[in-house]
Amino acid sequence: MRARRLTGSLTCLVVLSLTAAGCGLSGGSGGSDDGEATAGACKVDAGNVGSGKLSGDVKGNITFQTTNLKKDFGDFFNGVIDAFEKKYPGTSVKWVDDPGDAKFTERNVADAQACSLPDVINLNKVTATALTKSGYLLNLDEKDPDAGKPFVPAFWDSSTLKDSSGSDIHSVLPWYTGGINLTYNTEMLKKAGIDPEKPPTTIFGLFEDYEKIAKSAKGKYYATMANPIWRLPADWQQMDIKVYSDDGKSFVFADDPRTTEWVAWMKRLYQGGAMPKDSLSSSDDPSTPYGNGQVAYGSTNPSFVRFVKQNSPSVYDKTGVGQYPFDKLGHTTGAPQYIGVASTSKNAATALAFGKFLTNAENQTAWCKDPNVVIFPTTTESLEDPFFTDVTGDDPFGEARKVVAEQLKTATADEVVLSDPQRNAIVAEVQLAMQGKKSPEQAVKDAQEKANELLTQGS
Amino acid sequence: MATETEKPVAGPGTVSSAVPVPALGRIRRLGRALRPGPAPDANGAALYRSWWLPWLWTLPALVCAAGFGVFPFLNTLVLSFTDAKPLGGAANFVGLSNYTRMLGDDDFWLATRNSLLYAVIVVPLMVLLPLLLAVLVEKKLPGIGFFRSAFYTPVIASSVVVGLSWQWLLKDEGLVNTWLEKAHLIREAIPFLSDPWLILLSAMGLTLWKGLGWYMIFYLAALGNVSQDLHEAAAMDGAGPIRRFWHVTVPGVRQTMLLVGVLTGIGSLRVFTEIYMLGSPTGGPGGQARTLPFYIRDVGLDPLSGNAGYGAAVSVALFVLTLGLTLLAQRLTRGDEQ
Repeated sequence: MRARRLTGSLTCLVVLSLTAAGCGLSGGSGGSDDGEATAGACKVDAGNVGSGKLSGDVKGNITFQTTNLKKDFGDFFNGVIDAFEKKYPGTSVKWVDDPGDAKFTERNVADAQACSLPDVINLNKVTATALTKSGYLLNLDEKDPDAGKPFVPAFWDSSTLKDSSGSDIHSVLPWYTGGINLTYNTEMLKKAGIDPEKPPTTIFGLFEDYEKIAKSAKGKYYATMANPIWRLPADWQQMDIKVYSDDGKSFVFADDPRTTEWVAWMKRLYQGGAMPKDSLSSSDDPSTPYGNGQVAYGSTNPSFVRFVKQNSPSVYDKTGVGQYPFDKLGHTTGAPQYIGVASTSKNAATALAFGKFLTNAENQTAWCKDPNVVIFPTTTESLEDPFFTDVTGDDPFGEARKVVAEQLKTATADEVVLSDPQRNAIVAEVQLAMQGKKSPEQAVKDAQEKANELLTQGS
Repeated sequence: MATETEKPVAGPGTVSSAVPVPALGRIRRLGRALRPGPAPDANGAALYRSWWLPWLWTLPALVCAAGFGVFPFLNTLVLSFTDAKPLGGAANFVGLSNYTRMLGDDDFWLATRNSLLYAVIVVPLMVLLPLLLAVLVEKKLPGIGFFRSAFYTPVIASSVVVGLSWQWLLKDEGLVNTWLEKAHLIREAIPFLSDPWLILLSAMGLTLWKGLGWYMIFYLAALGNVSQDLHEAAAMDGAGPIRRFWHVTVPGVRQTMLLVGVLTGIGSLRVFTEIYMLGSPTGGPGGQARTLPFYIRDVGLDPLSGNAGYGAAVSVALFVLTLGLTLLAQRLTRGDEQ
C-alpha cells in the first residue's frame, strides 16, 4: 500500500514537474567573462563584432532564411541563389523558409540564444529590434559603412535600431515594402454624403467620415472594424503624437491631449454604430467583411485591392482608392521587410555579400515586377524604373499602385515599434474606454502606466 | 547455465592464463546480468540478476524526464529569483522581489481568478459528462459506432480550426444569436465575443466540447471492467438505472474519474488557445479574460519587453496552484474510499 502511494506521489510529482516545465522559461546567464568576442551569450568570430570593417573571403556555406516565401516564389529565389553562387565560386547557399506565424519572433530568439541563427535572415522590425538589442546582428555602420548607398536615403536613414547601449545603428538592410492606402466602397461613401474623390487628410477627418457612414448605414453595414489593435500605434504616429521619450526609456503618449481625443473618438464611433460590437477584441481585420460588403473601408494596402479584384468582383467595381491621411507627420512610414546578417555567422563575409546581392537594385526590381506580388523596392535605382514611375491603369488596383509609388518618394522606415505585450496593454485600456468602462482620460493614463511597466521590466 | 564457480579453460582461441581472471569474471557476470529473464531462487521466486539492471532499462526514460521535465522545472525555479531576460545576457539575483511584485499585481490576481474559475467549472463537468456519454454509447445498438466516432471527431480537429468555427458560431450575427433571435428568445445579440465573462464561458464550452470524446474513451475502457453481475444483482434488488449508475457504475470507475479530474484540472489551469482564439491577443476586451499562461506569455516571454524572471515566478505560482488542486483531489478521493 505504502509502495503504491509512493509510486502515485512520484508520478504526480513528475506530471506536475512537466506541467511547470511546460510553462517554464529559459534565460541566459551572462556573456563570456574571458575576454573572447561574444554576441549575446554566444562566442563569435572577433571580426564580426566591435569596430573595424568586416574582412574575409566570400566563400563557404551559409544559410538563408526567408519568411513564408518558398511556396510562391521558389523559382525567383532559387534563381538569385544560383546567380550568387555563380558570381562567387566556392559559395553555397542553403535556403530555409520560416512559416512566419505568430511564433516567428520567439523562434528566432530561441535560435539566437542557441547561437544557431541562420547567417542571412529575413526579419520584420520587431524581431530585428530584439536581435539588435542583444547584439545578434552585424553592425553595418562598422562592418560595411557603404552598405546603405543603394537605398532610398529616407529609407536608409530611418532604418536604424537601438543596440544594447541604446545607440542607433544600422543592423539591417531594408528590403521590400508594401505601402499604405485607403480602400473604400464608393457607393457607401456616396450614400453618406462623402465625396470619394476627396479622401480625408487627417485621422480625425477619417473618423468624421466613419461617423457619417454609421449614420447613413443605420446598422445595415459598418464603417470599419473596432479592435484598436489594427490602428495602434500607426494612427498616433501618423498624427505625430510622440509615443516614446527622446531617450526611448519611457512612453509619453499620454502627455499629448490628442491621444485622449483619439480614444474619445474611438469610443464615440464604437458606441455610435460605426463598428460591429463583436469586433472589439476580434482577430478579424476588415478584409473579409469588406469583400462581403459589410464594411465601407477595407484593409490599407495595395495587395488587398488586388485580393478584392480576384475574390469579390462586384465589390471591386464599387471600390475606390485614395491616399492615406498624411496628417501632421506629412508622409507615411513604411514597414519594410529587412535582411539581417547574424553576428554568430562563421562566414559573415559571405553572408553579408549575399544579403547585399539579394537586396541590390537588379534583384529588387525583378522581384517587384513579379505579377504574383504587390510590393515596392527600397533602392533608388529600382524606384526610377518606369515600372514604378509610369504606373498605368485607371482601375482601383492601378490607382493603389500609383498612390504608393507616389508616397514612397517621401516615406521613411521609422515606424514606432511596440512589443506585443506593450501593444496589447495599450489596446486593452482603449477597449475598456470604448466599452464605457473607463473614461478616455483614465484609459490613456493607465495604458501609459502599464506600457511603462513592461518597458522597464524588459530594459 | 554457467555459474560463478566455473573456472576458465585455457586452450586455442580462449583467454590465456596471462589475462587476469577477475576481468574475465566481470565479463561473465555482466553477460549473466544482461541475459534475459529472471533467475529463480531456491523457492522458485523470480529475482533480478543485478540491482542495477532495472535502472539500466529505465535509464532512457529517466534521462528524458530529467532533461525535459525536472531540469526545466528547476531552471524555472532558479530563474524566478533573477531578473533574467528572454534574450539572455546577464541575470542578477533579485531575491523575492518577483514574488512580492506578483502579490501586488492586479493583473496576476485577475488571471489567477480566471484560471481557478476555469478549473472549478470545467473539471466537474469534464469528469461527469464524458462518463454519461460513455454509458450511452457503450450500449450495443445498431449504428452506435457512428455516434462514438462523431463524439470523438472534435478531439482530432485542430484547435485553431475549432476556435475559428466557434468564433463564427458566437458572433453577433453568428448561428447561435441568429437562432435565438429567430426563436424570439432574445432581442439583441448576446455579446459572446465582447464580454469578458461570456468569452470565458464560451472558452470553457469549447474546452468541454473538444475534450468530451477524449475522456469518453477513458471511461469506455473503464466501463468494460465493471462487472455485469453487479448490475444484474442491483437490478434484481429493484435498483433503477439512476441508482445503478450512482451505486454500481460510479464506484466501478472511481479511479478513472480521479485520473480524468487530475488531467482536466492540469489542462484547465494551462488553458491558452481557447481564450486566444475567442478573445484575440489581448485576452478579451481590457485583457479581462486572460488566464495564467496568457499572463506568463505577456510578462515573461516577449524578447523586447519580457522579464523571464518574473514570468518564471508566475510559472511557479501556477505550479503550486496545480499541485494544490491535485493533492486536494487525492485527499477527497482517499476520504471517500475510507
